[in-house]
Amino acid sequence: MSALATRFLDAQLAGDRREALRLALEEGLARGAKPEDIHMFVVGASQREIGRLWQENRITVAEEHQATAISQVVLAHVFPHFARSPRLGRSVLVACVEGELHDMAARIASDILDAAGFDVRFLGASVPTDELLKMLRAKPVDALALSVTMTFHLSMVRQAVAAVRAACGPGLPILVGGEAVVATPPLSPDDRVFISRGSARDLVRTLRFAVGLSEVSGEEEVMT
Amino acid sequence: MSADGAIPAATALSLEVMLACDREGRITWLGDRSRALLGDVVGRDLAALAVPGTEDKARALLRAAGASPADGWELSLIARGAPSTWTFRGAPHESGCVLVGIPVPGAYERALRQAAEATSEIVTLHRDAEKTNAELRALTTELGESNRGLVSLHAELDDKNAVLRRNYDVKTRVIANVSHEFRTPINSILGLTQLLLDRLDGELNGEQEKQLRFIRTSASALSELVNDLLDLSRLESGKEQLRASAFAVEDLLSSLRGMMRPLVTNDAVELVIEAAPGLAPLDTDQGKVAQVLRNLLSNALRFTENGEVRLRATPAGEGRIAFSVHDTGVGISPDDQERIFDEFVQIDSELQRKTAGTGLGLALSRRLASLLGGSLTVESELGRGSTFTLTIPTVHEEVAEMMSIERKADRLDPTRAPVLVIEDDRQTMFLYERYLSTSGFQVIPARTVDDARKALLRVQPAAVVLDVMLEGEATWQFLTELKESPKTRDIPLMVVTVMDRAQQRARALGADEFWLKPIDGERLIRKVGELCKRVRGGKVLVIDDDEAARYLVRRLLDGTGFEVLDTADGVEGVRLAREAAPQVILLDFVLRGETAFDVLDELRSDPRTRSIPVIIQTSKQLDPGERERLARETTAILAKDSLSREVAITRIREALLAAGVGPATSGGKNG
Repeated sequence: MSALATRFLDAQLAGDRREALRLALEEGLARGAKPEDIHMFVVGASQREIGRLWQENRITVAEEHQATAISQVVLAHVFPHFARSPRLGRSVLVACVEGELHDMAARIASDILDAAGFDVRFLGASVPTDELLKMLRAKPVDALALSVTMTFHLSMVRQAVAAVRAACGPGLPILVGGEAVVATPPLSPDDRVFISRGSARDLVRTLRFAVGLSEVSGEEEVMT
Repeated sequence: MSADGAIPAATALSLEVMLACDREGRITWLGDRSRALLGDVVGRDLAALAVPGTEDKARALLRAAGASPADGWELSLIARGAPSTWTFRGAPHESGCVLVGIPVPGAYERALRQAAEATSEIVTLHRDAEKTNAELRALTTELGESNRGLVSLHAELDDKNAVLRRNYDVKTRVIANVSHEFRTPINSILGLTQLLLDRLDGELNGEQEKQLRFIRTSASALSELVNDLLDLSRLESGKEQLRASAFAVEDLLSSLRGMMRPLVTNDAVELVIEAAPGLAPLDTDQGKVAQVLRNLLSNALRFTENGEVRLRATPAGEGRIAFSVHDTGVGISPDDQERIFDEFVQIDSELQRKTAGTGLGLALSRRLASLLGGSLTVESELGRGSTFTLTIPTVHEEVAEMMSIERKADRLDPTRAPVLVIEDDRQTMFLYERYLSTSGFQVIPARTVDDARKALLRVQPAAVVLDVMLEGEATWQFLTELKESPKTRDIPLMVVTVMDRAQQRARALGADEFWLKPIDGERLIRKVGELCKRVRGGKVLVIDDDEAARYLVRRLLDGTGFEVLDTADGVEGVRLAREAAPQVILLDFVLRGETAFDVLDELRSDPRTRSIPVIIQTSKQLDPGERERLARETTAILAKDSLSREVAITRIREALLAAGVGPATSGGKNG
């Protein structure tokens, strides 16, 4: 974690919303940091750290919620500072898989994709697979992005991918991202499922490639 | 209740869990209460009871408690099929550990989750709002840009327009000037040729005479062309004015007969000019009608070798008259029938080459027809002949409109404030009429200073609008008169003209307002309204000892915006006149114990009341001396007796109008 992310985390755990915001806006944006880097490497990094701290019983659920609320506020303040790219005319549905209550990663990804010119529909935490299919049928999109934070929910990702394939055919690109996929073996033998594990730029590049907007893919690996 | 009985009862309520695990994390012992909550799980892994996704934390707790006492570990386990959270304390025991869990209240947990979900939802809404906001900003920027684009496009169009207008003006001026410069030498050629042909300087031989006749014919043709060009350029520049007059169709036709007869040089062609019986007299520009007809007749004669050329005047319905010129000449093919009205178009034919013509005649005629408010059309069959028809209103629209304004002005409308407009251009007069009549004023039109003087004898206008540049009129003199005469000097006067340098002079002579043409309607109404306010909406004082007479006046001015003050007593009347400063006083000639002269003397001796117009009402037979004095000192004398009430009302109303007390304008939007 960067020094800024560490100070940010301290402010979050101390429940100091103002300080957290000041750090993001004044120490971050005002000193030339890009909004997507604040999203990814300050808020995103501190959220991952909070997960680890809870795991190690260094913080309580209540503290985790408090920190997350502060992160939401900071993301909201940073969002208007994104340099908005021209609209790409491509839509993407972003959702957490069924059971996955951590929607922070999905939120961060949504903001970054929106700023990059995608039309983003954000469905939030724990979207039941049935519900997801309903949404896809009601209003088709150019890509689906599934977020998974807890390793435990990876099986749900497999189920969701299979269900979407069955319902929408093999063409729809599916992007899978989140803490749980960082160190995960391949999920399914499908060359239209993409994994994003890197930076904001990687996320955008991968999705652009997935929807056929660029020839060169990101640092993603195509699952085999 | 005994203590022994209380323990199991309390235990039954307890939500705490107590358990022991071995070093592998398998449960080796459960408290009774824990068994009730978690089921018989002895021998199972504690981690297996943990809520999915938190197994690692369960293992971490087992490790921590196995090494040293641990406290405050939150762990969610599946109890009775649903997740519940406990805060565990633990300590090493044998090779494993013992754990005691205090339940975290479910309500807190649910509340936290609710709050987190609500936050997430609000954040989603925030993003939507932000996106909409960004789109709106982009839209605003875009609109701003297209707006700037439009503005610059407008400016460009204005520039182009100005250039075109300049070019057009230059063209028109060049044509006018060049044509004019041509005329002088052509006239010299024509004159000198004629001198030679008249043999004033000696005899000519046959060849010389032939050559001179050719010169004369060519010069005449050139002269005709130049004249047509001049006419056309005047028409195009809009400078051509309508000179309307009333005349009989037959007079027009007989002068045409005289003019055209010399042109009939071919015995095989007969010229007939006739009119249908009972044609209404015309009121339009006779010269222009004659010019068109001459043109049509000479064309017809030129292209007809056999048969006749016939001009017929017939009614064309709805106040219109048609003049048709029919010939039995060469005719015009359908393709050429519209082209012939373009400038310099002549249809190529053998006859055409033989005959002279400028190629401007029909273009000019059509423009004249439209200036006359009518049309010029053609019907023709090749080889059979042509019929050109000029259809125009018998009374030119401008004349008709002017007449209707004048007629309206003959009868003063008591609900409108009269405005005397002195202006010789009919179009401009129409503008005044249109603007002012819709706003509660009545235009009294005067096209000359004489008309204006006559109108002033009849009516005291609420305002005067004067064009000081009337052609051939002594308008400055009239302006001076208006402002010097005590009767008219208080009437607000607005001078309107085209020359800015007239302003100083107009102001010096007492004009209340000075305006450059063109007239802006809104501003005109506002300005005239302002000027008239000084005299409108004021008070009328009635001094009469007859209650019925006072009542009559009061009723008369009901709803006109005038306030009526009345009194039966002369002294009281004078006091009221001083205090209330009425716009007009209606004074009974014979009051109890005094005459109108006493009151008049009082009024005239005080500067505050001296200039208030006084209308005398009387039932007394006045002797010549009285009548003369009253005529000098008052605005009007009305006899009371022998008048019906209606007549009395009319008289009083007229007297009020004549005194400049135009009843308040009602219904006018700016009135």
